[in-house]
Amino acid sequence: MMFKFANPNKFVKISELLFPYFNILFLISFIYGLYLSFFNSPPDYLQGETVRIMYIHVPCAWFSLMLYSSIAICSFFSLVFRHTLADIAIRAIAPLGASFTIATLITGSIWGKPTWGTWWVWDARLTSELVLLFLYVGIISLSNAFEQKSKGDKYAAILSLVGIVNLPIIKWSVDWWNTLHQPASISKFSSPSIDTIMLVPLFVMTLSFLFLSLNIIIIRIKSEIIQRKIDILNSSKIN
Amino acid sequence: MKINMIPLIKREIKLSISNLGLVISYSSFFLLSLLIFTFGVGPDIKQLNTVYIPIIWIIMLFAIILISDNFLLSDFQDGSLKELQYLGYSEESIILSKTIVMYLILIIPHFFLIPVFSIFYDISFNNLVQLSLDIVVGMPSLILISLIASLLTIQIKRNKVLQFIIIMPFYVPIIIFTTSNNESILYSSFDLNKILILIGFFLITLPITLLIGKLILNEINK
Repeated sequence: MMFKFANPNKFVKISELLFPYFNILFLISFIYGLYLSFFNSPPDYLQGETVRIMYIHVPCAWFSLMLYSSIAICSFFSLVFRHTLADIAIRAIAPLGASFTIATLITGSIWGKPTWGTWWVWDARLTSELVLLFLYVGIISLSNAFEQKSKGDKYAAILSLVGIVNLPIIKWSVDWWNTLHQPASISKFSSPSIDTIMLVPLFVMTLSFLFLSLNIIIIRIKSEIIQRKIDILNSSKIN
Repeated sequence: MKINMIPLIKREIKLSISNLGLVISYSSFFLLSLLIFTFGVGPDIKQLNTVYIPIIWIIMLFAIILISDNFLLSDFQDGSLKELQYLGYSEESIILSKTIVMYLILIIPHFFLIPVFSIFYDISFNNLVQLSLDIVVGMPSLILISLIASLLTIQIKRNKVLQFIIIMPFYVPIIIFTTSNNESILYSSFDLNKILILIGFFLITLPITLLIGKLILNEINK
């Protein structure tokens, strides 16, 4: 079932069907999320208005980790089942994941200055997020370092599988070490947890980021598939 | 599939002995880096004494990354890697034998370098013992990780910078734990926990490197 849909041509057909819906859903959720973030959520009693950076910072951080996990899953499929679409997906997702990581670091810095009084601290969460950025950079560089794309794909898949050891470190760094960065407070079961009035805009913004990511990934995968077809045509012309 | 590693280890040792310049290069790099760090930090011996652990680990890390290519690249270029596989040696045993010999070759200069280092940086005897043990236990993990980088970039020309980019993030946990014993420096106490953590890192990096090494060697020979 999964492999049936993982065929590049089938993927293009399905993605063309879904793309407009994702676009509309992104626009709706993004505009609604911005409205909720700016006009329907209160300022924090300590941090004041600066808390609104959270509605961008937290989804970016989540997606930086989630996209790396999806790269690792694609790497597994690429190495075990040798699926071309998985290779293409790694190439498509890595720059997006790196962008989200950069956005997380920048928004975190902007949030950190008024809250902690500094742009940067060598805190476990911040450092591990920076390490994640270097992992993304490594994957992007390695996949583009080979003349043969297939070799770059395989090596990037191997590297991303090794890099997955960093994900639990980032996720639980705030629990394992006594850090300046606050522990996770989104879960309603944990204490202290975020109030619903702030939780709703956060989830709407996360949803909008999800649709944005899906849109960008679809565009990038489609362009990569076209590029590979052009490469095959060019090489057959030369031969 | 041959799993007898003795001939492989013998071969690697012979090759390394014939190329002793490697050990000299490693030692020279080590001493010159010490000099550079001393210029960077300043000549105050008290200050140097508080930062010697990160200095030595960073130098070792860079030296190992730079030197690890010599254990693989020539074998790849003259086809020996392929030949060993065709002879029936498993990829794991090829990687493991290279790791063992690289460790044996690189640990020897430390018996001379670390005492010299301890004089330069005024390190007490207890701290010197701790540092030596840390190096003996921690070095295999550094070597294993550097071998992953070398294998990943072996087919790329001008790969040095890329090698550093892709492998540096994996050194972060090891560097964190090897350099985090300020209390034991102050009180010159022995830190067994650190040794155990380094053994733990070795036990994690060993199977990962063997698995990744196997995957990459198979990819290379396609």
